[in-house]
Amino acid sequence: MAKTTYYVCKYTPIELLQAFGGQCENLNTMPEGFELADQISHPNLCGFGKVLLEAVMRGQVKELVLVNCCDTIRSVYDVLKASGKLDFLYMIDMLHCGDACSRERTVVQLKGLARAYGSYKGKAFDEAKFRAAFVPPKQMHEPYLTVLGARMGTELFDMVQKTMPYPVQNNTCVNNRSVGTMQPPEHVDFDTLMEWYAGELLHQLPCMRMMDNTGRKQLYHDPNLEGIIYHTVKFCDFYSFEYAEIKQHASLPLLKIESDYTVQSSGQLLTRLEAFAESIVPAQLEGKGKKMGKGYFAGIDSGSTSTDVVILNKEKEIITGIILPTGAGAAIGAERALEEALKDANLQREDIDALVTTGYGRTAIQDGDKSITEITCHARGAHYLNPEVRTVVDIGGQDSKVIRLDETGAVVNFVMNDKCAAGTGRFLEMMARTMEMSLDKMSVTGLQYDEDITISSMCTVFAESEVVSLIAQNKKTDDIVHGLNKAVAAKTASLVKRVGGEDKYMMTGGVSKNQGLVRTLEEKLGAELVISDKAQLCGALGAALFAADMVTE
Amino acid sequence: MNIVDTFGHYVERYSDIRPERARWLLQKGWEVQKLRQKATTDRRLIPADRYLAALMMNTMIAPLKHPERSAIVSIFTPCEMLQEAGLHPYNVEGFSCYLAASHAERSCIQQAENSGLSETLCSYHKTFLGAAEKGLLPKPQCIVYTNLVCDANLVTFRRLAELFDVPCFAIDVPMQQNEDNVAYVAGQLRKLAEELEQQTGRKINLDSLKQRLARTRQTMRNYEAFQRKRADKYIPTDLVTPLYAGMTGNLLLGTKEEHRYTQMLLHDVEKAPKAKGKRIYWMHTIPYWSEALAKQLRFQEDAQIVGCELAHPYPPELDFDPEQPFEAMAKRMVYHSLNGGIDRRIDAGIRHAKAVRADGVVWFAHWGCKHTLGGAQLAKKRFEEAGLPLLILDGDGCDRSHGGEGQTATRLGAFLEMLGGEEHG
Repeated sequence: MAKTTYYVCKYTPIELLQAFGGQCENLNTMPEGFELADQISHPNLCGFGKVLLEAVMRGQVKELVLVNCCDTIRSVYDVLKASGKLDFLYMIDMLHCGDACSRERTVVQLKGLARAYGSYKGKAFDEAKFRAAFVPPKQMHEPYLTVLGARMGTELFDMVQKTMPYPVQNNTCVNNRSVGTMQPPEHVDFDTLMEWYAGELLHQLPCMRMMDNTGRKQLYHDPNLEGIIYHTVKFCDFYSFEYAEIKQHASLPLLKIESDYTVQSSGQLLTRLEAFAESIVPAQLEGKGKKMGKGYFAGIDSGSTSTDVVILNKEKEIITGIILPTGAGAAIGAERALEEALKDANLQREDIDALVTTGYGRTAIQDGDKSITEITCHARGAHYLNPEVRTVVDIGGQDSKVIRLDETGAVVNFVMNDKCAAGTGRFLEMMARTMEMSLDKMSVTGLQYDEDITISSMCTVFAESEVVSLIAQNKKTDDIVHGLNKAVAAKTASLVKRVGGEDKYMMTGGVSKNQGLVRTLEEKLGAELVISDKAQLCGALGAALFAADMVTE
Repeated sequence: MNIVDTFGHYVERYSDIRPERARWLLQKGWEVQKLRQKATTDRRLIPADRYLAALMMNTMIAPLKHPERSAIVSIFTPCEMLQEAGLHPYNVEGFSCYLAASHAERSCIQQAENSGLSETLCSYHKTFLGAAEKGLLPKPQCIVYTNLVCDANLVTFRRLAELFDVPCFAIDVPMQQNEDNVAYVAGQLRKLAEELEQQTGRKINLDSLKQRLARTRQTMRNYEAFQRKRADKYIPTDLVTPLYAGMTGNLLLGTKEEHRYTQMLLHDVEKAPKAKGKRIYWMHTIPYWSEALAKQLRFQEDAQIVGCELAHPYPPELDFDPEQPFEAMAKRMVYHSLNGGIDRRIDAGIRHAKAVRADGVVWFAHWGCKHTLGGAQLAKKRFEEAGLPLLILDGDGCDRSHGGEGQTATRLGAFLEMLGGEEHG
């Protein structure tokens, strides 16, 4: 059976490879991890580069044609060449501008590839196959969403398509290849054909590596476009520049997500995608027209550490709020918390007209009428508690998020931290352990300090060793804790800036109990934080309010 | 809080509210430092390296003093034409290091990340971009960059040009080493000369440019000769001198000052005492701010840095004809050791390390530098096959928050012990 020739870049002369009988495929799957790749390279390489290394080292790829896209791909080529694991490996030196001179140099590259690939395949250039390979790309003529930025793995893109309320076009990196729009000229010799082909390749919609990439604006200036999901890959830096530009200028709904190209990383993005889908089509949140019974509505927030339940009455007043540890499973935890809440409110399960679930465990709970992300619910809950709030800062044990809302409580923008613990409750918890104090004690330490210490490492592991060394230097506990609070506050303030946060700010989540941190964050933001005694119930409260919306009189 | 922290604190504070004031403060602070330099530069450095410290300081102050005559460049952009056009070139790496040395880098990095730039972007670039966004950098007359070596250049300089709204000239350098590619780059340099003339209103005199290239050639030869001679000598050094040599060796290449520096080196090396201690050749930049590194390599007789890749990034056999200045500069770029596959970079590193009789090599895996990170394992294998033990040291040349001082101390310490046996125990 003929082997597949894999490629990774839209500037790859796929049609030329097909003219020599090649079966070409874009290599784009997301592996479970990078065990083999990390052994032969470095962990801090872009995830997609590691996909290539991993696939070759596992023997899944035998023929690979690369383009000198970026420093990572150049490195991958070096490492793969030295590994000797491939039957055919080639890298095209694609220039960075599209003028006449570079077209000439590109022809040289095309002929070089034709010679090497033809000799490897033992075949001559077949003009008919070359012509047949030109297929016009599909255009969208209906409302759609686009994924832009760094290439997106197949598994993640599938997830995006399933989550979004509109068709989604993949316009990332390799996927917006436009060769095929024009057919090759007739009755010309090979040299002339290659000259034309070089022009077609170079004059595609430019990618970020090209020196003149002003043409990329058309990617987000389309009247049918309803929103942008901007994807970046960890350690791929090109596209964050375009994101910074779009963020400043585009008026469309915009979600930024980052993956490291593993399947695990995409799973963590589901909440963000769903929250984005909820924000672009708020109608999705509206009721299914359930009939009013006894007029009680419940919301369950199934978090990683606690499960919270709120029950509202017909007047949307809180009649009970329960907080229980989640325990072993989300479903059992939710059931238990709901039972407890019903008991507290002296109600039966059938008295509840509608039930909405939210939080990480929301989909595991079968009992609910609807499930909505904690981002949308948090915003709604915060708006209920204080209608003047425009920004919610939620720092929990596992993650931190900042949500910006409008005057109706709808989400305008949001951002979540990555899977890194820096800037979360877990960071403070680990530091408290290092300093041998309880979290309660830590929350009131550092309110008064003498020396303004800066903890420079944001990495939890490095920060821990910095703290150990400060302890060894006999620095005062208050000063060290103040330094730690400053580090978390700086990270949080940076998230606030990214979503364009504005007054009034509400802080929710377990960390809102930490007085030292609250004060440092207030200083950093230059504004007071609203902290409600019901802050921990915010998500469940929002869910219960959405449940109430589902019911008609 | 020490004086540098206080200075950095004020620069950062003003950069948020009154950028022009912060810029003034930065300029004055560095000028004071320059005045103090004569007295404070460590007397243990050889006279040539003390002269180098002053050259570097001048290069960094010039754009703050005369922004209208300055040009931002990427690290390996040939600067002879810019000098000929009366421009002061300065680069991202040098300026970011200076900001970090003034303890003003943190808020710049934060600013860049707040704008949406990636956390994994090289911190030299991030510091510089953040400083530009904050208004801490003055508006240059133009920007000249190349894709050579670092692909972050492609996006950083374009963004800077938009921020400052100034003309931006790019030089596209192909990866492969051949005469056609030299001609392709030379063509772009000719065009650049015309554009610089138009931009500055100053004619680039061809004869004068040829003289400059002749001086460049002599300077490069002098430096090579110095490195060969230092093989048997002990030259006391700190952590910034090899970096300064890397910066001025590109920005000032072709100037009388840089030429004079290499002549001084040749003079000083004759007087230097016999080699002693373990000799480390350094690949990529040096995290000069690291105390852990300073303790083991700064003015230490039993271990010192004897060369840095950035200071002579050309294959030893590279030659060019100054009478053809555009081809000469193009050749320097196309045949640059860091252009093309990692093998070329490793080959050059091995030859340079052997020329200075290094005992070991540090491959500094600077956070965000994909080419250096990607090639780390290959480099380890190749250097060690060539008889040169190699330490892959992870870290960051500019951003302290990516440091792990404990790890650096242990890794480097163990490496030196490994090289030096009991004498380092």
